[in-house]
Amino acid sequence: MPKVVTQQVEFEGHFFEQTVVIEGDDITPWGPEKEFSVVGQPHTRIDGSERVTGGAKFTHDIHLPGMLYGKFLRSPHPHAQIKKISTSRAEKLPGVRAIFTYENSPEIPWRMGLTKLFDKRIRYAGEEVACVIADDESICLDALDLIEVEYEKLPSVVDAELALENNAPKLHEAGNLVTGKPETYARGDVEKGFKEADVVVEGTFRTQVALHNCMETHGSAAVWEGDNLKIWDSTQHIFGVRDMVATALGLPKHKVRVIKQYMGGGFGSKNGAGKYTILAALAAKKTGRPVKILLDRREENLLAGNRPSTLQIVKIGATRDGKLTAIYHKCIANEGAYAAWVAGSTGPSTRMYACPNVKAENFGVFTNLGPVAAFRAPGYVEGTFALEAMMDEVAAKLGIDPLELRLRNYAEVDPTSGKSFTTKGLRKAYEIGSEMIGWERRSQIKKQNSTATKKIGFGMGSQIWGGSGGPPAYSVVKINNDGTAVVLTGTQEIGTGAKTAMAQIAAEVLAFPIESISVELGDTQIGLYSPLSAGSMTLASVGPAVRGAAEDAKKQLLDVGSQVLNIPIEDLVIENGDFLNKKSGERTPVKKIYEKLQNYMIVGRGARGPNPADKVVNTFGAQFAQVEVDIETGKVTLQKIVAVHESGRVINPLATRSQLEGGIIQGLGFALCEQRFVDPHLGLVLNASLETYKIPTMMDIPAIEAEMVNMPDPDVNNLGVKGIGEPPIIPTPAAIANAVADALGKRIYELPLSADRVLNTLYPSSQNERSS
Amino acid sequence: MKNFEYVSAPNLASAITQLQGSNSKALAGGTDLLTEMKERIKTPDRLVNLKSIHEMQGVRDDKDKLWIGALTTLSEIESHRFIAERYPILAQAAYLTASHQLRNAGTLGGNLCQSVRCWYYRHPDLTCWLKGGETCYAQEGINRHHAILGNAPCIAVQPSDLAPALIALDAVVRLKGDEVDGDLSLDEFFVLPDEGLRQRTVLGKSDLVVGVSIPKPAASSRGIYLKSMEREDWSFALVSVAVQLNFAGSKVGTARIVLGGVAGKPWRAKSAEAVIQGKVLNDSLAEEAGAAAVAGASPFEHNGYKVVLAKNLVKRALLELNK
Amino acid sequence: MLKASAKSLVQLQVNGQAQEISIEPRRTLLDALRVDLGLTGTKKGCDEGTCGACTVLKEGKPVYSCLTLAIECEHSRIETIENLAKDGKMHPVQFAFIEQDALQCGFCTPGQIMSIKALLDQNPKPTESDIKRAVTGNLCRCGAYPNIVKAALSAAERLRRGG
Ligand SMILES: Cc1cc2nc3c(=O)[nH]c(=O)nc-3n(C[C@H](O)[C@H](O)[C@H](O)COP(=O)(O)OP(=O)(O)OC[C@H]3O[C@@H](n4cnc5c(N)ncnc54)[C@H](O)[C@@H]3O)c2cc1C
Ligand code: FES
Ligand code: FES
Repeated sequence: MPKVVTQQVEFEGHFFEQTVVIEGDDITPWGPEKEFSVVGQPHTRIDGSERVTGGAKFTHDIHLPGMLYGKFLRSPHPHAQIKKISTSRAEKLPGVRAIFTYENSPEIPWRMGLTKLFDKRIRYAGEEVACVIADDESICLDALDLIEVEYEKLPSVVDAELALENNAPKLHEAGNLVTGKPETYARGDVEKGFKEADVVVEGTFRTQVALHNCMETHGSAAVWEGDNLKIWDSTQHIFGVRDMVATALGLPKHKVRVIKQYMGGGFGSKNGAGKYTILAALAAKKTGRPVKILLDRREENLLAGNRPSTLQIVKIGATRDGKLTAIYHKCIANEGAYAAWVAGSTGPSTRMYACPNVKAENFGVFTNLGPVAAFRAPGYVEGTFALEAMMDEVAAKLGIDPLELRLRNYAEVDPTSGKSFTTKGLRKAYEIGSEMIGWERRSQIKKQNSTATKKIGFGMGSQIWGGSGGPPAYSVVKINNDGTAVVLTGTQEIGTGAKTAMAQIAAEVLAFPIESISVELGDTQIGLYSPLSAGSMTLASVGPAVRGAAEDAKKQLLDVGSQVLNIPIEDLVIENGDFLNKKSGERTPVKKIYEKLQNYMIVGRGARGPNPADKVVNTFGAQFAQVEVDIETGKVTLQKIVAVHESGRVINPLATRSQLEGGIIQGLGFALCEQRFVDPHLGLVLNASLETYKIPTMMDIPAIEAEMVNMPDPDVNNLGVKGIGEPPIIPTPAAIANAVADALGKRIYELPLSADRVLNTLYPSSQNERSS
Repeated sequence: MKNFEYVSAPNLASAITQLQGSNSKALAGGTDLLTEMKERIKTPDRLVNLKSIHEMQGVRDDKDKLWIGALTTLSEIESHRFIAERYPILAQAAYLTASHQLRNAGTLGGNLCQSVRCWYYRHPDLTCWLKGGETCYAQEGINRHHAILGNAPCIAVQPSDLAPALIALDAVVRLKGDEVDGDLSLDEFFVLPDEGLRQRTVLGKSDLVVGVSIPKPAASSRGIYLKSMEREDWSFALVSVAVQLNFAGSKVGTARIVLGGVAGKPWRAKSAEAVIQGKVLNDSLAEEAGAAAVAGASPFEHNGYKVVLAKNLVKRALLELNK
Repeated sequence: MLKASAKSLVQLQVNGQAQEISIEPRRTLLDALRVDLGLTGTKKGCDEGTCGACTVLKEGKPVYSCLTLAIECEHSRIETIENLAKDGKMHPVQFAFIEQDALQCGFCTPGQIMSIKALLDQNPKPTESDIKRAVTGNLCRCGAYPNIVKAALSAAERLRRGG
């Protein structure tokens, strides 16, 4: 029976109320004592062979007969008004099929109405001015050279602090502050808290813009079949793309079908449709042919989203015995030209520690740069870096071990609501992790391994994040008459191994061999609604629905089996794909009973139940880093990192470990080498390429020791799982930065910890020698 | 890329003739040229593929010198037995260049003639001074990768890793064109750009590098190549240093110290060489040589760190060789 | 002397098969494979020699097909990811990638596999550092690096035992 419930939900560190329909009462969760045969066992990817043979079709690989291609003309100016545009020369180029500009395109509101599909007002260099459709990508590029645009250049601003000044160029009518006001939080009385403190530390931190650089760039292919629109999109949210496209083009949702089978990375940047999606659809309509529009690497880095840079002030007060009395955290984030929300960079300060007085202010600022997008744990990576740095400074001032300080302020209950956590394995993570890195022995290790020019240091970072997932999410499990089963959902596999985990769940419940389970997803037409694959929510949202559907299917299967085989249902179980008569020990393959049943098909239904109302769901973890800093070259080498995380029950330890390593590696890139550069005068991004935007290579990878505290969560959902996609990136930069500070005996308040920054800190006089 | 006419030249003479066309470019491995063409920084109407030219191929041991044809790939240089034995710094420089795939395609000639990596020069929306514009945007901009030495209207640095190593080995480059034909010291092959010549080498438009030859080093000669990068590997040098020393007993005889990543051309640190010549190397002398190497440096807003880095790398290289 | 400016017929030797395509000189080997020959296993991550997703073997050596002109490959042997599995049986490197979970999204994977295959063809007993160097030019944004090393080691082992 459908039931309408209103509940508190969390997404990417933000909380809001949502009304959802759930189906009846949820099934009993798998308790901690439950024994499994498939779940919890390492399992290789069920779609591995497609991915290693080149057979997997990514959006880039969709090729249809007669396909046309599209490319955008982009503004070379950061802020401008288009006065005139002439496409007549380009139109004459052989092979050009259509050109779209503001003159001939529908006025579709874009970015929450802050701009349009083609806006005459340009707010960042790289913004779309026109789109050429032609037989070949190289013809498109030739045609772009022939389009003449007259711009009126406007003063621009790319620095967030400057953009907040009164006389700064305004990007939008309402000013440069995103949502018109900061997001604030307060509990207790911080002023009082600081007065009660024996020590107060304060630091100003800066973090850089990081670019997602998914290996597969954003893009779409579209084709019309009658008045039905079919789209392949490299997305983390097929239903989101469907809804955006339907709204933009004024189509009923059911006329839009969005497909995504394989995707080359998203990391938060592929949560919706792009202008390329809309234009592929418009152009396919206009030309009557399939159209594919893919971003190139440069475009990807100019406009497909980024982790915004931050300026953060963190102030912490504590008593002599190491009890926090107050935390103040202010963050100003550079959101680029368009944003409707601000990442929760101050979240870690409000939620991590048991501190009675906390105040947080979170500003998002519009500037003439490409817009932000969620990037794996948005805000929390940056916020944790600043918070954990200041925790180390408090510890140093008080002469308390950094780990001990964290334990003294351990939040037993959620400090923002007073509610208890469903599970919290952080203490355990600290315990295991500190043991693994040799935290107690670190001063010996430092002494033994440091030289005159190479200094060893140790540091740690803690992690809190959401990851509960939640309704609505649905699944169907079909049992075919050959004894195989199909899991059907509308979620997406973005490389995390969700498909395999869902097969494991179904195999476990049905007691079928996993080889007989297939999983269908990534198609809005045949799938059942599932949320976006972001916010670490895929498995924790969809997995429980899959279990529900499998349980339902199994019940029906036993029922039918008992009637066909004439065995009382109490005596019948399924084992390894066979009916087993518990009394007689007799086995009958499942497919056998179908022989008498024509084309009978069992269809089990499942839906994600609600999240617990009286408890708070969070994921936790701790990381410990050992670095070496070469004080002559400024090079920081991460030698070893230990990560211990708690995210409820682990369904597939193999894929989970990969998630941990992947998160850590992105975290180390953020800590050490990744950084977008913008010329402050020209307002242009200088390194929109993978040659100059440095992501870690194989050679940058340290020894990684990663473990999970396997702690089935009894309350979060019927599987006891929480998300693990984002948590592992959160504490990595904090741990590395603390280790570098330990090695140098001096803190660097900015990321990344690149050679120039280290050298400028060690040899301050070398800076700005020619500053004339 | 804009389309172009493609010609595969059978020999040197034909290549030179083909290159005289209005807007022709020589194509070797293509790993640099094609990136510029894709960004439409260069839009030649003809590409002359050099790869079948016999005269530009091969590595040969000619009694007192080693000949390396311009078409020799970086992989071949990296793994060639002779080179590894006798000219380890060249092998080290090749080893630290780009990635395996790029070394398989990229050639010696292309590496020496590659364009600068300055991100203003490579920006498709900017026409900087080097591209024929008015302004070197880097001087007032984000110049963290740029020159600290050598005054020039354009402050992009010479990106090649092979060049400093080869200059430290006293390599000579063989050039051939419709007007030039002969050998030139590699040190003189590279020039700082100026108003008259907005380029980095002496090459005219139809001139080609045929190969380089390196004199056989003395038995007492030792060298080292150190490179500092923004990540562990697969990056251009922030600063690199090639040092080749001839020892006379415990003392340094002749010395070559060449820096990469600090100037518009590979930078021979002659004053640093003078500091150590005839002396026994030790910590303080190495420090002094490091300081001498960057003595005239005048960094910009964002590249002051390179002064320290260059100084420390010179010192480290000398101390390594003294081990 | 080969000369071409507009579209011309070019013969390629891809995965042991002679193929003829009509292309402009500017066509890269990558686009020729993906668009003209429909071999989409080779990926385009950057099109400018900075990611490694387009790695194919030219005369047995890994190169970036995005920085190779198709017209230059007239007489060269080209091998792509599609050539590894034979008669429905995966190559040991492919098998090892699955077994060690050496992939997440799988987009960089064909390139990684081609680099490792080339390494193992020429060095059956690589060290960990040989492996790392062989794939330094293959970026993986998902961070599957640690498992890629494990996969290469395990594939080498399997190949030594005879596949
Ligand atoms: C991502 C990336 C990273 C890199 N990292 C490094 C690095 O760390 N260190 C480093 O040194 N290099 C690096 N490179 C540059 C690389 O080494 C060069 O691209 C390569 O060596 C050029 O050789 P090529 O044969 O491919 O040249 P091409 O691209 O074919 O040619 C380059 C230029 O030289 C000209 N030319 C070629 N051969 C001759 C000749 N014989 N005579 C006259 N002119 C000629 C061409 O006309 C063209 O202008 C990197 C490149 C990339 C793309
Ligand atoms: S696509 Fe060729 S290296 Fe990236
Ligand atoms: S597996 Fe995703 S980029 Fe390597």
